[in-house]
Amino acid sequence: MRYAADPPAARLTVALDELVAIYHRPSGATHLLAPPAPELLDALAEGPADAADLLARLSRRFDLPDAAPDAIEARMEELVLAGLAWRA
Amino acid sequence: MAEDCDKPEKTAENGGNDRLASAGRRGVLMLGAAAATSVVTIRPALASTAASVLNCKIPIPDPPNGGKYISQDGKLVASGTQGAFQPAPRPVTGDEAKKMINGMSPPGFDPNARQAYVNYIRRLQHGTSGFTCYASLQMPGR
Repeated sequence: MRYAADPPAARLTVALDELVAIYHRPSGATHLLAPPAPELLDALAEGPADAADLLARLSRRFDLPDAAPDAIEARMEELVLAGLAWRA
Repeated sequence: MAEDCDKPEKTAENGGNDRLASAGRRGVLMLGAAAATSVVTIRPALASTAASVLNCKIPIPDPPNGGKYISQDGKLVASGTQGAFQPAPRPVTGDEAKKMINGMSPPGFDPNARQAYVNYIRRLQHGTSGFTCYASLQMPGR
């Protein structure tokens, strides 16, 4: 499963300590995201990706102690449900 | 030795878009259990984006009252009532509703029914199909 998201310019983001508030301009909806959802959206800025690509992109920046493609898929499905990403 | 290496990992000003880019040091990121939740969506009761106003639809009348006629003052009356108007041939968009309020009738609509339809739209109540669309037209700048 490959995922894609709007470019970062489509989102207005405000860091709220551990959370990130994201206003998605195309839909007018606001979302509160906990890690790793904001990081996944950022990683998608490089272009559409599947869970393995996303793991690779995240691992360039982060240590991922519980790295598992199905956890990525679960987080991505939440972003799809919220309308912040879609299945490419 | 590049000074950039020592910049703060994250500041309040740099927002969320560049969280990754600004992470000068490697952080630990937990992906969480498959059943965990990391996204909560807040949807405004009144959609206020330009796109929603252009695309939202107002059925006249709303589907549960399909077939009813619309009286001149915008109330729903029995089908065939004298002096009342047939349902609109199709739902109107927010944009069309705005034009109707300003005196224009969409193509294919009975121009004589315009005022009745506008009165119906104005009487829309919260919970009725089309209310949010009409309400969004009332927001400043629409």
